[in-house]
Amino acid sequence: MDYLARKYLRGRKIPSSACSGCGLGQVHKKVLMAIDQIGLTTGDVVWGTGIGCSGRQTFNTWNGDNFAGTHGRVYAIATGLRLALPPSKKIILTVGDGDAFGIGLLHLLHAARRNVDMTVIVADNFGFQSTGGQYGLTTPDGSVTDSSPYGMRDPNWVQDGRDILDIVKGAGAGFLARHTSIEGQNAVESIKQAIRFKGFSLVHIIYPCVTNYFSKALGTRDPEVACRWLTERTNPKTEIEGLTIKTGIYPVTDGNRLEFSEQMQQITQAVQREKSNGAN
Amino acid sequence: MKRLFDTGNAAITEGAILAGCKVFAGYPITPATEIAENMSRRLPHENGFYVQAEDELAALHICIGASLGGLKAMTATSGPGYILYADPYGWALGSEIPVVVLNAQRVGPVSGITGAPGQGEFYLSRYPTHGGNFESIVLAPNSVQEAFSLTVEAFYLAERFRMPITILADQIVTDGWESLLVPETEDEIKQMGLRIATRKINQGPEFYPATDEIDVPPVVLGHNTGAACSDWTPTSDGYDTEEVIWQHKHAYRLIYKVRNHQDILPHYEEIALDDNPDVILVAYGSPSRVVKSAVRAAREQGLKVGAIRLITLWPFPDKAFERSVKYLSVELNFDGQLVREVQRAMPKGSEVHFLGRCGELPKVTELVEAARTLINNQPLESIQWQREAW
Repeated sequence: MDYLARKYLRGRKIPSSACSGCGLGQVHKKVLMAIDQIGLTTGDVVWGTGIGCSGRQTFNTWNGDNFAGTHGRVYAIATGLRLALPPSKKIILTVGDGDAFGIGLLHLLHAARRNVDMTVIVADNFGFQSTGGQYGLTTPDGSVTDSSPYGMRDPNWVQDGRDILDIVKGAGAGFLARHTSIEGQNAVESIKQAIRFKGFSLVHIIYPCVTNYFSKALGTRDPEVACRWLTERTNPKTEIEGLTIKTGIYPVTDGNRLEFSEQMQQITQAVQREKSNGAN
Repeated sequence: MKRLFDTGNAAITEGAILAGCKVFAGYPITPATEIAENMSRRLPHENGFYVQAEDELAALHICIGASLGGLKAMTATSGPGYILYADPYGWALGSEIPVVVLNAQRVGPVSGITGAPGQGEFYLSRYPTHGGNFESIVLAPNSVQEAFSLTVEAFYLAERFRMPITILADQIVTDGWESLLVPETEDEIKQMGLRIATRKINQGPEFYPATDEIDVPPVVLGHNTGAACSDWTPTSDGYDTEEVIWQHKHAYRLIYKVRNHQDILPHYEEIALDDNPDVILVAYGSPSRVVKSAVRAAREQGLKVGAIRLITLWPFPDKAFERSVKYLSVELNFDGQLVREVQRAMPKGSEVHFLGRCGELPKVTELVEAARTLINNQPLESIQWQREAW
C-alpha cells in the first residue's frame, strides 16, 4: 500500500480507522491500483463517498478533491456535479450496500437511467455494520444479526434468484461487474474498465466484516475464516445454499448510450445554434 | 429596460437568469411548475441546464452538486416538496454551499389545496432541516416585481453567506400576473438596486474558518484545491471529526455569520407609522397587499392604523417591533405562526392579535373593522373561530 498511499492518499487518514481484519482496505487498494494503472493523477478524479463503513472510512482519504454526501443521495449530487465538471474529470464514488441498494436505490437507478458518467464502487459488507451489525439488503438468508436474532428472513437482493445488478442493468447501466475483496488483478481490471467507461458504471465488491457480521454469523472474528467462507462461495462449481457469489464483468446490452452531460450540452448547443441562425 | 406583463413564476425565472443561474433541477408541483417550465425553455439560451429530477430530494441534491462544481443553481417547489428538501438543505447549510430554494406556499397541511395561497411554512423555513446549530435566511416577496428582485438578491446572499437561501412566496405571488420591469444594462441593474455576486473559489487549505466572517469563498470541486466538504462536522481544513471543540467552532460560524451581518439583508417596510398609530397590522407576502389597502381605508375613516410588511422573515427582524402598541398579525393560516414571533419580539405591555385566512385573502373591510375593534378596546373575539384574542 505504501507506494499507492504516498501517491494518492492523505497521510492523516492512513492507517484508516477501520477494524482489524476489515476487508475495506483491500477494496480501497484495488480502486487505487486501477487508478494508478490507468495513469490518473489526484487532479483527474473527484472522489465522493456515502455514509456507513464504506463511506466514512474512505472520505477525504483521496489527496485530491473530496465530498461526502447525505445517505443514499450521493448519486444525485454527482449528477449535478457532472454538469459542472469538464468531461475529462472522473467522478468515483465509494459507497456501501445500504447506501446503494437500500436508501439510495432510487437515485442510483435514475443515475443509471440518465447514464451519468460516474463510477460507483459498492463496497458490500452484508448489512449495516457501522451501526453495530443489523441485516441489510444483501445479507445472506437466515443470518443471525443484531436485528435478526432469529435469522434474517426479509426478502432481499440476493435471495431466490434475485440479483440487484439485473435491476441496475434494467435501468440502463453501461458497465457492471461483481467481485470480492479477496480477488486480485481480475477485480482491478474490472474497476479499470469501469473508470474508463464513458457513462454510468458500477462495481459491486463484497468484503468481510469480521467485527459485526462474521462474529455473529460464523461465531468467529478470524479474517482467515471469513475470507475462506467467502472464497468457497465465489464462483463454486455447484450452488451453495444461502449464498453464491458470481464474479466478473456482468453482461450488459446497452453500453453505447449518449452520456447525460453530453446530452445536456447537445440540447444547449442546438438551442444556441438555432438562436444564432435566427439572428442571421 | 424591458417591460413585461407576466406571472411571478416568469419573474423568478428572469431574476435567476440575471443573477447567473446555470442549473435548475426541479420536480413539477403546483403552483411552482411554471418556474420549471420557464427554466427548461430559458436556460439552454444562457448556456445552462434544466434537469427534471426523480423527486425533490434529488432536485436539491442535483442543485447542490452543480453548485459544488461552481455553477449557480436553483430549485423551486411548494410545501410538499419543501419538506423533502430537509435532507439536502441541511447538507448545504452544514457544508456552506450556495444554492437558492423557492417555496410557493399553498394550502396545507400535506397536499391540501394546490391552487390557492397559504402561509404554513413560516416556521418550517426557519428550521428547514434537523439538528439546529444554524441560522436561516428567508426572503418573502409580495409582488411580481419583487419576486424578480428578491430572486436576484437570494443568489447574491447565497454567495456572500455561502448557504442556501429560501424565497418564501405564495400562490398569489407566483401565479399572479402583474407588470414587470427587467433591466437590460449594467446601469439599469444598478438603478434598480440589484446586487449580483460572482462565484469565487476557495483555494484552501482553510475551507471552514472558525469566524463569523462572510465572503469566505465556498468549496468548489474540480480545481484540485484539495477541497473536502461533507455532512460531517468539519475541521477547518474539511476533515470529518467527532471532536466537540470543532463542532463548537462550526456551530458558532453557522449561527453568527448570519446574526452578525443582518444589516446587509433586505429591510422591512413601514407603512404609515410616523404618527404612532394605535394599531399596527403585520403581514408578509400577498396578504400584505391587502393590509396596505386596509391602512389607506382605515386612515380615510380617521382610524390611526399603520402596518409593518416583512421582507426578510429569518433572521426575524425584532427591531421592527420596538413600539409598544397593539399589533394585529394577518396571515394565510389558521393556527397563527407569524403572530408567535411578533409576540416574542414586541416590548412588554404591547398586545398582539391574530387574524387568519387560508386559501383566500382577507378583505379590506374585514381588516379595517378588526382594527376599529382593537382601537375601541373591544375584544377581537367574533362570530367565527378564525378570529381570537391571542
